[in-house]
Amino acid sequence: MERSIQRPRPLLAALSVVAGLLGGCASTSSTQATGSNATASNEAISDPLEGMNRFIFSVNLAGDKLVLRPAAELYRFAVPRVGRDMVRNFLDNLETPVILANDLFQGEFERAVTTSSRFVINTTLGFAGVADPATNMGFVRHEEDFGQTLGSYGVGPGPYLMLPIFGPSNLRDAGGKVVDHFLDPVNQYAHNTDRDYLTLVRSGMSAVDSRERAIETLDDIERSSIDFYATIRSLYLQRRAADIRNGEAPAFPDIDMTDEPPKSATTAMKSE
Amino acid sequence: MLPRRVLLLLAGAFFLALGFSQAAPAAAETPEQFVGVLGEEAIRVLGDAKLTPEQRTEEFRRLLDKGFNMPLIGQLVLGRHWRTATEAQRSEYLKLFEDFIVQTYSVRLGQYNGETFRIAGGRAAPDNTGDTLVTTEIVRPNGPPVRVDWRVRKNGETLKVVDVIAEGISMLITQRDEFAAVIQNSGGKVDALIDRLRRRQL
Repeated sequence: MERSIQRPRPLLAALSVVAGLLGGCASTSSTQATGSNATASNEAISDPLEGMNRFIFSVNLAGDKLVLRPAAELYRFAVPRVGRDMVRNFLDNLETPVILANDLFQGEFERAVTTSSRFVINTTLGFAGVADPATNMGFVRHEEDFGQTLGSYGVGPGPYLMLPIFGPSNLRDAGGKVVDHFLDPVNQYAHNTDRDYLTLVRSGMSAVDSRERAIETLDDIERSSIDFYATIRSLYLQRRAADIRNGEAPAFPDIDMTDEPPKSATTAMKSE
Repeated sequence: MLPRRVLLLLAGAFFLALGFSQAAPAAAETPEQFVGVLGEEAIRVLGDAKLTPEQRTEEFRRLLDKGFNMPLIGQLVLGRHWRTATEAQRSEYLKLFEDFIVQTYSVRLGQYNGETFRIAGGRAAPDNTGDTLVTTEIVRPNGPPVRVDWRVRKNGETLKVVDVIAEGISMLITQRDEFAAVIQNSGGKVDALIDRLRRRQL
């Protein structure tokens, strides 16, 4: 019964949810427009390691089938939705320091105020973050990470990478992930007090929670794809480009431009 | 008496006709109205529990043909391979492409869950296509609302959707990237894609 209640969502909504998950971003992006007008849509995808990436993807899928998906289904079965939302809120709240740092790196001071307000409100009134009263007070969550910060300074995505366990990424975002890891005060605390397992527990919880939210969506995409790997790659790269544009619509794929031979990686690096 | 009434009638008819002829251009749909009507109709079809899955699929195909420029979308999805395709390949591909979309999305049609949508506004696309981006917010019963932009193109007097962008992700680009990968991994042969699409119909 619960399955049918949970079962999302028409067509498009589903896609964006999973894309959010894949981009490590569960919330909707802000509609704040930027001046930049990236033409990611007309750029050739850079995936020089496609063979290796496809192999890692298939290993990840096998791991998902054996471990992550069953864990997500168990989680859905064992914890009611209210509880799962609390888990998500708590994990989201733990992420706010890193989001704040990246807001500041990008000079997005209004967003930084939103992020800090969320942290103060949800940590206190929200009982250490399990509730999210800040959203109702007008402080809506957004996501930022160091990969996006680099992107906002014009660093292109570089080659696409399928990371073991972590999933889709690219050179820029994988590097950003490492930076974010060290920026994170909880990770620092865990490391300095010899409690590194805390980082693992937290990542594990986050993975299971995100996977639970995407069960139907990922099934749906897999079923409707003729090349699942290529679809996930496209969704991930588009999602990241959209996050860096802070939600502005992508350029329209021009038939004349797609007739051209694939563009070089340098063009891709510059114009994003 | 009679001529006067006839005259009045004629005058009335004349003004009515005038009114209509003036009303006609004024009533030309804006892109926002067009998306609104399309969305209402989609929700009506999705929410109609009396329809069989087959009827729903047919209704979906009808809406797709009415509201979307499918030949253009199909052509852009094929991207640079369109140019090298033969006339026969093109027409078979376009037919298979539409079937593929109908099939893909009609699987999801049974999952309608009471979502509603709200037109949030329209603006000129930030490029030189002359398109309008109509922004809608899909409100879901569980989960945050999703922003969907509809790229609407005017061709003569008719409006058609040419791309759907969910949270910044273009459906057209996603499909194009996937098809391009299939073709690339088959040595650049469009026939390989056509074959894959054909086999999916079974």
